Amino acid sequence: MSNQFSGVWASYEYLDDFCNALTELRGSGFQRLTTISPCPRHEISHALGDPQSPVPFFTLAGMFTGFSIALTIMTFMTLDWILPVSGKPVVSYPIMGPVLFELSVLFSVWFTIISLIGLCVKDNRAHAFPEGKAWKDYRRFTRDRFGVIVPCTQHDLDKVEGILNKFQAEEVNREA
Amino acid sequence: MSNVTYASINDDILYSLRPPGKSWFASMAIILTMLGMGIFAFGYQIRHGMEGSGINNPIGWGVYITNFVFWVGIGHAGTLISAVLYLVRAPFRTSIYRASEAMTVFAVMTAALFPLIHIGRVWNFYWLIPYPNQRLLWVNFKSPLLWDVFAVNTYMSVSILFFLVGLVPDFAVVRDESKGLKRVFYGIISLGFRGTNHEWKHYMRAYLLFAAIATPLVFSVHSIVSWDFAMSSIPGWHTTIFPPYFVAGAIFSGCAMVLTLLLPLRAIFPGFRDIIEMKDMEAMAKMILFTGAIVTYAYLIEFFIAYYSGARYEKALFWFRPFGDLKIFFFLMFFCNCISPLPLWNKKLRTNVYALFIISILINIGMWMERFNIVVTSLAHDFDPYAWGFYKFEWVEMWITIGSFGWFSMWFFIFVKIMPSLAVMELKEALNPPLRSAQHE
Repeated sequence: MSNQFSGVWASYEYLDDFCNALTELRGSGFQRLTTISPCPRHEISHALGDPQSPVPFFTLAGMFTGFSIALTIMTFMTLDWILPVSGKPVVSYPIMGPVLFELSVLFSVWFTIISLIGLCVKDNRAHAFPEGKAWKDYRRFTRDRFGVIVPCTQHDLDKVEGILNKFQAEEVNREA
Repeated sequence: MSNVTYASINDDILYSLRPPGKSWFASMAIILTMLGMGIFAFGYQIRHGMEGSGINNPIGWGVYITNFVFWVGIGHAGTLISAVLYLVRAPFRTSIYRASEAMTVFAVMTAALFPLIHIGRVWNFYWLIPYPNQRLLWVNFKSPLLWDVFAVNTYMSVSILFFLVGLVPDFAVVRDESKGLKRVFYGIISLGFRGTNHEWKHYMRAYLLFAAIATPLVFSVHSIVSWDFAMSSIPGWHTTIFPPYFVAGAIFSGCAMVLTLLLPLRAIFPGFRDIIEMKDMEAMAKMILFTGAIVTYAYLIEFFIAYYSGARYEKALFWFRPFGDLKIFFFLMFFCNCISPLPLWNKKLRTNVYALFIISILINIGMWMERFNIVVTSLAHDFDPYAWGFYKFEWVEMWITIGSFGWFSMWFFIFVKIMPSLAVMELKEALNPPLRSAQHE
């Protein structure tokens, strides 16, 4: 999808108005919505019908990677230079527990954070954002306002603006 | 939080980020003096060797290892509050977790210094890392000391990442409320975060996973620290109750340190009083009471085990602790950790800031004494009377200890001025959202 934005963005003071507008927009066929809010709200996720994030798969992959690396380095290093300790087996699995656990945790956390950044960048690149001065100067979405960006064709601008105004948007801006 | 709105939370946080005043600079001067003396003492130790510390034969672990265990313990409460209490959705967590997490990060950064200081030849610290050295030897994975290297480093990495991930949306708030260079600076460290539905979706899932992963880590780290002792055969160390005893003690001391830091923070920034409510402090006091009871039980059961096991070396050691040359440390520990929290059973005292502050300081002192008792008295009185010893404090280790408090406080003071010390996003999430339907009621 091209990143050149064409559509409407609006801000809302109240969450219930905002969620009603989202539901109506989706019902009217506008599915590629981007919302902005000061904090995550379940009401918004439900109104958008967002699917679950795939982050946990990366976490699991990190855990397996860490576990495998820990097992490999401990087995290899123990066999590479045999260091007998108090008659214990040379390769002893019970003593590997702490390091296996710690490296599994370490790698799963790093995989989680890298996937988090990667997925956020990917999703934001897939959705176009307004570029006008009004958008750039607007800073209340991290303060106390809820925002929605509706990409649409020139033909749909009036329809979208009508829906947004119907639910008492505080400010509505169109960019085409 | 009846007067609190989304906007007022932003305003209160921004108030705390204003340029520092005279009192901040005066406090920082004292802190830097403490740190400077600590650095000087460490320099002296590098030049003259370990003679400046009280370490001797047989007491090979002294104040430095005591400090290490103490600071790792302090570092426990932050992750407990941010991870465990997040999973169980404890309501008092929201207002206090950011400062607790910062405390954790800085405490573990402080703790990580002490093994390096303790080894004396600090320039050889990399011998602890499994790398292919010229003698083709590898580290010994059967040693709990090596497990500790992995445990503490993992804990430090995870704590720092957890802390920074939580800060990203709040940096975006500061960015949008700032101008000029400040806006550029916070724009960079907020990584372009905007609060879109896509970002929140991945962010909240990742944060939940962080909490789930960090929870067993909280319990594992101090358990592994306790194995540094419990895996040996020294009387007073070789005991199976050490892991839960250490974990409870760590949470106990960490909660006390949270109170020591948050009560002044709440007094300095007036807006914080609406957010960090007295009931949050009271909840921390209850956690102190609970973990303090576990710690007291562990102290008593150690004596019982020494008596009931019939092991004469254990018995001798547990007679030595309250009646031997180092008894002052035992009684200080017992008073500070077992007696001083008892007034918290009274609700009036539990909700009195002065009482809470004094008790939290006493617990911090008591927990340092506990670690000193465990580390030093056991080594001073092991199997052979010929090898018994006495510990004498030296000026170098005292200044390095004071310097460590300077190091910790320096980071905390900087944190308060450049980072939001309350979690903006989560405080907003905990509030009732602005609803038009609520306006009409």
